Amino acid sequence: MEAPKTSKARLVASGIVPFVVLAAMIAYVLGPGSALVNFGTALPEITLERIDFVDKEIQVTVRNTGPIDVSIAQADVNDRIQPAAIEPDKHLGRFETASVRIPFEWNEAEPYEIGLTLDDGTRFAKSVEAAAHAMKPNFEMASYFALIGTYVGIIPVMIGLLWLPFIAKMGQGKYAFFLALTAGLLLFLGIDAIAEGLEISAQGLAESFNGPLLIATVVVASFVGLYCVSEKLVGRTGASISKSVAIALMVSVGIGLHNLGEGLAVGAAMGLGEVALSTFLIIGFAIHNTTEGFAIAAPMARHKPMIGKLAAMGFIAGAPAIAGVYIGGFTYSPVAAILFLSVGAGAIFQVAASILGWISQDKKGLVSAHTASGIAIGMIIMYVTSILV
Amino acid sequence: MVSVLAVTVVVATFYFVYPGVSDAKNEEKVFVTHGGAVIGTTGDILDPVYSKQTVEFDPQKYLRNFNYGHVSTENGKTLREFTIIASDDQVMEISPGVFYNVWAFNGTVPGPTIRATEGDIVRVKFINNGSKSHTIHFHGIHTASMDGVFEPVGARGGQFTYEFEAGPVGIHPYHCHVMPLEEHISRGLYGAYIVDPKDGRPPADEMIMVLNGFDTDFDMENNFYAANTIPFYYQHHPIQIGRDQLIRVYVVNILEFDQINNFHLHGNLYNYYPTGTSNVPSTYTDMITLSQGERGIMEFLYTYPGKYLFHAHKTEFAEKGWTGLFLVV
Repeated sequence: MEAPKTSKARLVASGIVPFVVLAAMIAYVLGPGSALVNFGTALPEITLERIDFVDKEIQVTVRNTGPIDVSIAQADVNDRIQPAAIEPDKHLGRFETASVRIPFEWNEAEPYEIGLTLDDGTRFAKSVEAAAHAMKPNFEMASYFALIGTYVGIIPVMIGLLWLPFIAKMGQGKYAFFLALTAGLLLFLGIDAIAEGLEISAQGLAESFNGPLLIATVVVASFVGLYCVSEKLVGRTGASISKSVAIALMVSVGIGLHNLGEGLAVGAAMGLGEVALSTFLIIGFAIHNTTEGFAIAAPMARHKPMIGKLAAMGFIAGAPAIAGVYIGGFTYSPVAAILFLSVGAGAIFQVAASILGWISQDKKGLVSAHTASGIAIGMIIMYVTSILV
Repeated sequence: MVSVLAVTVVVATFYFVYPGVSDAKNEEKVFVTHGGAVIGTTGDILDPVYSKQTVEFDPQKYLRNFNYGHVSTENGKTLREFTIIASDDQVMEISPGVFYNVWAFNGTVPGPTIRATEGDIVRVKFINNGSKSHTIHFHGIHTASMDGVFEPVGARGGQFTYEFEAGPVGIHPYHCHVMPLEEHISRGLYGAYIVDPKDGRPPADEMIMVLNGFDTDFDMENNFYAANTIPFYYQHHPIQIGRDQLIRVYVVNILEFDQINNFHLHGNLYNYYPTGTSNVPSTYTDMITLSQGERGIMEFLYTYPGKYLFHAHKTEFAEKGWTGLFLVV
């Protein structure tokens, strides 16, 4: 018994040793060795992440996104100095946030630039295209958002499910075509989510977050995570009925995450006062999302209709849009939006991979004309409907 | 393994989405807006506009501080000797909580106000303790060799003695004249130089206002404007003056980057003497416009007590600090 115990201790120790050495090196660099590595000047940076217009007050959420601690010295509106309060305090460590309250009688629908000046005199600013009252999370708004989420998510997905009988009566080749079409739709959605994430990253996220790499990390992590989970889910159920249900379920979950991202976009557009844009977003997403219902219906079309399950999946796919609208409208943060979009993209790629895997089990596999044209047409349909957004 | 992954993901998410915020204080502080709204906060107040705050430099002291130099007689004339030391490594709090690397004469921006009587000999011993070449270029009448342009005074201890007869009567700026000129002036190497007439001016409560600004983010636009450096200082520390007391303000516009500046007085008008060279005012007004380097003398008296604003009627400057108050008692 003695020998294995020692070897296990050794194993643990050998795992820890590199950490100890690394810690020693960091301690040296920060301490006695710091003179060796100090060169150049670290420049402070803050990011104004969010601006809310409330009654006679403008509220700014600011984050220290630079390499050094900073103090905020003053606030301005349209480059004119204004008295303000900062909570919890004006000193911000790295990545710390604070809320700046500027008493100001702002005008509805007019553009503003809000600036904050640091202790070294550097000014950072963020523009708002049109000031609009920040939405307060009350019952009225919550039910309004639920309604919009329903329009964007649940109803279009349910409409898409109505294609089920149409797909069910199809021959094997055509069915493969429609499955491939679904894969095409999903590929498009995944790429769309990444593009959206990159856009938010470029506009609203400080460079220190390494936005594109954050997106890549989360996309890959959610892809492999869900791939692992779904393989277990599908593998456990031997019968092909359950397998198709499992795939449809994964499609629903993936699309649900995607719709959460879309809901965020709608809610954020409303929160930022871009009202006309959000109307277009709602119509656009509704049309766009009808195709998603189709994506759920396709894998289940070969078996006798299971209305209850289908409806449940439609709900899983559509309902997150409500949550998305809610989060986007009330507590929009670029970091959260990017995380949701990236998880959604990973999930969707995983589902697309599963469907393609499923098709490839057929005789002709992925090389058939049906499959190739299905993927291409799926992407084209999504592109055309996406122009509406 | 799955649990390790889950923990990693959760920790990473919270690290970005909900970073730690520093300890909240419970003590409630209050500030009042121009509209009279009383704003309470548990955090810090950022109010350079109305809240009474002080920095190391005291504009109240600078306002009436005239430097007549070390006085002696030489060849039957009054000799006034001054020492001015230039530096360019000083960090000055130029607005509450804002620290800026100023280049300064005798450690302050503006530099000391030098004052002499027409015909006096002014001798200025100049020492450059900065890391760059600097000079002093006085406006006024003097020989070419005393102009402070073609004799850059070397860094780290370079010396030069400027000597000339004080004249003409009036108010003049002095500033460094080393290239790049805009940088050497806007960083703070300037001050005022007053030449009094031999028979003096009528007694008055006299003050100096150097209209200046700071480009703290180096985008060739001023972030702060003021009379005597500190934005809004005379708004929360009003200049107390007496009723029916003649007030004489020596005004110098040394602002860089902006083409013009101006001076508007509330509830009153003033006699204005451009450059202070004539006994006859050019205008009786409440509003003068000053180009870069322009200066003059304003004389007025208040009959009614109370608070009266003075500020740039270029209101952008006013809202970035060039606003003050006279308190007539």
